Amino acid sequence: MVCVDLTTCPTFWASLGAGLSVLLSAIGAGLGIGISGPAIAGAGVERPEVMLKTFIATILAEALAIYGLVVGLLSIFAIPSLTTIEGGTRIFAAGLTMGAASLGAGFGIGAAGSAMASATAEKPDIFSRAVISLILAEALAIYALVTALLLVFGAK
Amino acid sequence: MVSDTLSHLLRDNYLIARLRGKRSNLLQRQQLIALSESKSQTEIIGLLAEGPYGPELSKLGGESSTIETERAVRLGYADSVMSLIRASGGDTHEFLVQYRRRFDAYSLASLVVFKAQGKTWEEYLATRLPVALIKEQELHRLYSLDDVSTIAREAGDRHLVERVKGFSMTDIEGERASLARDIINGWGEERFYKYVDEKLSGPDRENCLPIAGSAIDIANLTIIIRSKLIGASGVRDHLIPSHWKLNQRAIDQLLAATDTLQALDAAAGHEYYSRILSGARQRYEESKSLSFIEVALRRYQLDLSKRLFLGFPYSVGIVLAFLVLKENEARNLAAVLAGVAAGLPTDELRSLLALQE
Repeated sequence: MVCVDLTTCPTFWASLGAGLSVLLSAIGAGLGIGISGPAIAGAGVERPEVMLKTFIATILAEALAIYGLVVGLLSIFAIPSLTTIEGGTRIFAAGLTMGAASLGAGFGIGAAGSAMASATAEKPDIFSRAVISLILAEALAIYALVTALLLVFGAK
Repeated sequence: MVSDTLSHLLRDNYLIARLRGKRSNLLQRQQLIALSESKSQTEIIGLLAEGPYGPELSKLGGESSTIETERAVRLGYADSVMSLIRASGGDTHEFLVQYRRRFDAYSLASLVVFKAQGKTWEEYLATRLPVALIKEQELHRLYSLDDVSTIAREAGDRHLVERVKGFSMTDIEGERASLARDIINGWGEERFYKYVDEKLSGPDRENCLPIAGSAIDIANLTIIIRSKLIGASGVRDHLIPSHWKLNQRAIDQLLAATDTLQALDAAAGHEYYSRILSGARQRYEESKSLSFIEVALRRYQLDLSKRLFLGFPYSVGIVLAFLVLKENEARNLAAVLAGVAAGLPTDELRSLLALQE
């Protein structure tokens, strides 16, 4: 499809959405890993036995980038079949939802993961309870993932 | 305030995780009580072999002296503090440097007392805490000086020179030596307090002020009471001009006391410090020593530190809280080692320990 006016071009909006999904999710994942990573390393220096367990924070943060990539790729695959501006804006909204939610979740995972690693270094038995806040932060991104997928699959 | 918290979150989480890990290795109340019941220094070294003091203690020979063992404990403490300093950055690093400056005053105070007691440089060096910023070479040079004012001028500032006026190497002995030590240590505490009060802000200041503030107040209180004990005059000149909760009115009241017991009663009745100094007269009459004031301050600071660990973690308060706990552990261990070596009864030895409830 050749677009004359970008503001009404479905391909433009869908591409922007796909890009935002990957970009913002990657920033969110970077924040999560960047904030929790040093705390995990610090906990590992003092208590090497807890380091592997506390790595869950970086794994959960990395998952954010994967959610963003999934939404981004599905958006790109949907672009050739787009015929209306509504379809394009749906994909844009999906990308923005996924990206912005990942950004927030990434910060949450970073802060909660850092506190979890510190707490586990001090009291290893606390890990199973401290990890709950981390999972709740991750859940925020999963809500966005579900919403984004529904938006992408409904785009025409 | 938000930017301070964010910078601690982004920059200090490695340090905070490490010190939380280190906190779990601190000796617990029960362990210290068990150590105080030990029969010999060798038994204590054996009990500590697995902990953070193990590496330094393992270097000691079979028949090491109490001073050597105490030094090993100090080195273990210093190693712990220095590893935190190396792991820190930005404002937190600056905070730790300011914290280390307190030890310059401790080094200087013991230098003056050791010198006045006619002890050798080697004897002094064995007790020195390596956390201090002041270099060993500089301390050696200061040790060759014979005048307290000159030492204060060379290593301190005009405030310290003013405060030690009237002291000379020939009259520093017994309680007067303790008074000189209190004055110099108080000068160090004041520098740290001023840094906390003037340079920190938000939660950093709020969390650190009670610890730094109580230290200067209790330093002033001790100087006044010790002066009463030895009948020294011109006490005002030796006092720290800054104050936290022990304001000018309270200081005037303490200075107006006719003797030590009356001053202790006034301290025990203070609206803020009554919480740590209640029953001060009785405690003094039982021990015939003012060391209970220092122990009471340490216990109070332990409580504050414990509360800081339970609160919001992203401030330098938590770093200071850990340092208070670690310093207290080293002091407790030094007291146990000295007490066991001197054959002190267990009850008497325990009264010298600041233990967490």
